[in-house]
Amino acid sequence: MNPAKEKGSVVVQTVSRIMIPFIQLFALYVIFHGSLGPGGGFQGGAVFASSFILYIVVFNIARGKKRVPESTNTALSSAGLYIYAGVGLLSMIFSLGAAQYLNYGFIPFTSHFEGNRAIGIDLVEIGVGMTVMAIMISIFFDLAWDKGKEKEE
Amino acid sequence: MTMSINLVLLFLLVIIAIAAVTIKDLLSAVILLGAYSFLMALAWVEMQSVDVGFMEATVGAGVTTAFMIAALARTTRWEKK
Amino acid sequence: MTDWLISEIFAKYNYWVSILLMLIGFYAIITKENLIKKIIGLNIFQTAIFLFFISLGVVKKGTAPIVSEEMILKGYQYVNPLPHVLILTAIVVAVATTAVALSLIIRLYEEYGTIEESEILEAIKKEGR
Repeated sequence: MNPAKEKGSVVVQTVSRIMIPFIQLFALYVIFHGSLGPGGGFQGGAVFASSFILYIVVFNIARGKKRVPESTNTALSSAGLYIYAGVGLLSMIFSLGAAQYLNYGFIPFTSHFEGNRAIGIDLVEIGVGMTVMAIMISIFFDLAWDKGKEKEE
Repeated sequence: MTMSINLVLLFLLVIIAIAAVTIKDLLSAVILLGAYSFLMALAWVEMQSVDVGFMEATVGAGVTTAFMIAALARTTRWEKK
Repeated sequence: MTDWLISEIFAKYNYWVSILLMLIGFYAIITKENLIKKIIGLNIFQTAIFLFFISLGVVKKGTAPIVSEEMILKGYQYVNPLPHVLILTAIVVAVATTAVALSLIIRLYEEYGTIEESEILEAIKKEGR
């Protein structure tokens, strides 16, 4: 992929270069305020994924593949799942035999039950957001990336 | 006041749904479906269900439209017949 | 009679619009030959059902269901959050089904070179399966 061959409007590329960090900041805001208002892990992850989809659409799909490789997607999606399950198992262990899965208050992050619960909810939201982001990007790649066409070129 | 906003949104929804179903250009139909989703999100926020409205605006209007355009790029743009 | 008409038919226009949208989506599913058009009809159908469910939970002069104890003590009304939770899950399922359907359409296009239903059926008949 030599840069002279790349097509695309300079205006759109510059504007989306400026826009993408702000979209990602908004996605992080949505994830961390999921316990207080509308939003949450799924919505924040979808917004995060749409920022990467904007990058892929505006620039090249090969460049997008370089920026978000398939291995990173797999690693992120499984890591999010492990965060979710790990927080649940931790609260199961720390509840000392009561076996309360995903009852975050028992994990001793802080000294207060409510503080523990807030941190536990945020951790679970981060896990959900990571998984959703990675899966959305990989679905978009699988839909948009024509493997047969690339071999012909 | 809010009732009339709701009525206008629902009226527009019906018009856009009919347009999205009848138009021959599939790219236009997909973009109209995105507009339909955004209007539906507005109607839901007006009905005080902010969570569902936000979900529809991000997932229904954003991600589904992107998926559909990706699928159109792999297939054809025009409907035959 | 007119009271009944106003309270049961005209005041519940959300349900009528939901039924109308459902019928539009159903029309697209059963009559359109193009497979992408069918998916668009399916999406409209799903969203119409979501609209019906959200309309069930609306309370007049109700606020969003994010409330503190003070607000409840002051007598604020809030809309029923149960349909919202159901629909939140249903939207996720809708996106997943759309992605699966689109990938199937792309596979069909690679196999037969068209996304019109009748042409695909003819091609299958020619192959003699």
